[in-house]
Amino acid sequence: MSSTAGSTLTQEETDLHLSTVAAKPYQVVVWNDPVNLMSYVAWVFRSYFGHSKEKAKKLMLQVHQEGRAVVATGPREKAERDVTAMHSYGLQATLEEAD
Amino acid sequence: MARAFRATTRGYKAELEPHERRLLSQLCADVITMLQARAKELSGEDAEHTADDAAQDEFAHFRRELAGLGDGLEDQTGEETAAGGVAPPTDPALARLLPSASAEPEQAAQFRRLAEGSLRESKIADLRAARMALESDPVTLSEDQAPVFGRALNDVRLTLATRLGIEDEADAEEVHRRAGRGKAATTDDLMAELYAFSTWLQETLFSAMLDVMPDEAEGQD
Repeated sequence: MSSTAGSTLTQEETDLHLSTVAAKPYQVVVWNDPVNLMSYVAWVFRSYFGHSKEKAKKLMLQVHQEGRAVVATGPREKAERDVTAMHSYGLQATLEEAD
Repeated sequence: MARAFRATTRGYKAELEPHERRLLSQLCADVITMLQARAKELSGEDAEHTADDAAQDEFAHFRRELAGLGDGLEDQTGEETAAGGVAPPTDPALARLLPSASAEPEQAAQFRRLAEGSLRESKIADLRAARMALESDPVTLSEDQAPVFGRALNDVRLTLATRLGIEDEADAEEVHRRAGRGKAATTDDLMAELYAFSTWLQETLFSAMLDVMPDEAEGQD
């Protein structure tokens, strides 16, 4: 049974919370794996993120050669949607706080 | 002999043999079975007997192995983590289809609690659509259907790859060599052939899709 008692935040807490969230951008990392094809990965980067042919190829090669690449950076909610989208395409993707 | 996907004025077309379409469709059905078993497991229902319809065809043994049903799904309890998150699947193929969204386990568990259900549903919808597409001869995909089919085919490939133990590029090459030897004698040989076949199909589809993709994003970044 849940209760809402005691869940009210003070103004200070709310302000603190929001400023922390707003200040922290997140990044979407795609990891290399031996199964996903280069043509497929490049197509996903172009169609989903709208990257140019060149940028998609550069990111795809970065994943392939370096093991990982940051493919998008933004607010947490957007990054979460992107990670789920990458998972729907079968790509290994994680969310992390941007440096 | 199958003919690869190519772009035509009315979508992408591939001419596959009836048994090739049937096998691919069955593989899609098997992945659906795995994903549904995971859903039942998390909701606390009995995950056994989900492969009843899988037991009636000539590849029954192979298909049970593919779906990981020989390992006993009752061992794979979707335990809640301390903070109410959901632990990743213990079956490696399911874990690959439903990856963790964070390197930090508790964050990944919280994310999984919110997102795994809809991810499973979208994969099941893709796989069902792919099965529909495989009913037609030649297999014909519109611009909208092609990515859906591609995602489903990729989930089939990921599942086969996990079962075949492909962990790096050398493993993948070995599987392709094995598939090239022809005359599948074991379950692994058959899986290797299917992996090579679905990889080839995927490659031809996405090469064709990249060829016709307008580079409208050019100069935006």
